[in-house]
Amino acid sequence: MSAPEARGGRLVDATIRCYPARWRRRHGDEAAELAALLIRDGTPAASIAWSYLAGAAREWLVPRPGRSLSTVAAALLAAACLLGFSAALVAESGPAKAAGTTQPPSGQVVPKIKPTPPSAGSSSPHQFTSCRLVRPTQVTGAFDAAGHGRLSSQGTAHARSC
Amino acid sequence: MSTRDQGVLRRAGEASVLVLVSLADGPKHGYALIQDVRQFAGVQLGPGTLYGALDRLERLGLVESLPADERRHPYRITAPGAEALRVHLDSLERVSAAGRLRLQLGGV
Repeated sequence: MSAPEARGGRLVDATIRCYPARWRRRHGDEAAELAALLIRDGTPAASIAWSYLAGAAREWLVPRPGRSLSTVAAALLAAACLLGFSAALVAESGPAKAAGTTQPPSGQVVPKIKPTPPSAGSSSPHQFTSCRLVRPTQVTGAFDAAGHGRLSSQGTAHARSC
Repeated sequence: MSTRDQGVLRRAGEASVLVLVSLADGPKHGYALIQDVRQFAGVQLGPGTLYGALDRLERLGLVESLPADERRHPYRITAPGAEALRVHLDSLERVSAAGRLRLQLGGV
């Protein structure tokens, strides 16, 4: 067996170990031999490993009669993933707060920004949609009395006016 | 075969149907199944997909594994498996005929 084949074999063996013990007792040897034959035929070891990995995930996640423990484990895994996702969302919202999004004192109403029509001599085909770059401004967020979010420009960050 | 059993292969997925078609002319082990499916359907079954399909079909009683030949288990289609395959292929034939007819009538 050549070095790449041996490396591929080790990769596939590692993915076969991801299957539940019951499955490995039943198909483990056969699966390893099948992978060796496919690698010898020229099938990339990575694609074989990926197929076994997906199969292992299905084996663990698909509920079966008499597999209550695995079902619970799958549910716990899903819950952990959801918690992780939520934590990531919360962590992502931190920098936005640090960038200066503030709420106005209660009762303050920020005026709505209305699009301005193009000047009479303008040849722009897109009425009300011509954009121009403006000098760097600080963009801060606010909420109006109706609870709608608004952005207002004040001086230091880059912005575009439309 | 009950109405519930008739749809069993539809729910089992395409890989299961390909495996049953391959086993219809005699027992085969995993490697031979993959080669055969590639030859008659042009589909490259991944080994993980193959074993998933074989497990599912075995649980449904549509295939059975024979005593191991060295490290390989040959698999054989069972009588209910052959019947389920026949029903499924009949259904596919009806769908295929209807599709061809409608394409003809539509002039597409």
